[in-house]
Amino acid sequence: MDTSTVRLALPPEPRLLGTIRLVVGIVARKAGIDEEGIEDLKIAVSETCAVAMADLVRAGVTTPIELDLIEDGKRFGIEVRDRAPSEGRITDGFDVDDLDDRQFGLALVGALVDDLESGPLEGGGHRTRFWVRAGAETLD
Amino acid sequence: MDIDLKVRNQGDHAILEVGGEIDVYTAPKLREKLIELVNEGSTHLVVDLEKVDFLDSTGLGVLVGGLKRVRNNDGSLSLVCTQDKILKIFRITGLTKVFPIFASVDEAVAGSGGGQ
Repeated sequence: MDTSTVRLALPPEPRLLGTIRLVVGIVARKAGIDEEGIEDLKIAVSETCAVAMADLVRAGVTTPIELDLIEDGKRFGIEVRDRAPSEGRITDGFDVDDLDDRQFGLALVGALVDDLESGPLEGGGHRTRFWVRAGAETLD
Repeated sequence: MDIDLKVRNQGDHAILEVGGEIDVYTAPKLREKLIELVNEGSTHLVVDLEKVDFLDSTGLGVLVGGLKRVRNNDGSLSLVCTQDKILKIFRITGLTKVFPIFASVDEAVAGSGGGQ
């Protein structure tokens, strides 16, 4: 099965979220994902990147966020990697409202996409990966 | 990528027409506008989302915050939305049970608190 990957690296600046969604939309459409799947991907990638950006900003790290847009047969995946230190992810010390937003956003991602995986990166940081299937029924 | 906010009055309702994308970057502008309307004395708000292209959890949080604010003043906040991609977010999060959602501004004004 052929796999092709488009790789992006962007500074952790919220003003770039719209650009990320735009690129994801273009690449996913070319990969044959239907419009509903594309909208789900845009929300999922935007929420994931927003969380990563918040963690990086909180840690004072400006290392770019990396995204892999993966076309893999009849499914399309996105992996988001950031280098925010893991201690920035513990709940102690978070503003309660901020924590609520974060959990809400990630719960939304889980409801929209398939096979959501999330875990630490070797050497520090975090990766989140999820998929949608071309032409598949999505949660409604 | 930005957000467009326009306010007009219809009866004793303030209609906030939102266009563009509501995300972490733009949601603070929507929050500020809702606070400004409430502080200026508007208690019955209709937020028209028909020209919104994208809405994320931050935007939902801002709308919930606006709803709490107007309810504290015995007011109302209704939404106008017919776009499936936006309605889906409200359905998934269960917020269709929290917000009155209408198909047009006229229906929202007729169906929510206050008079026309």
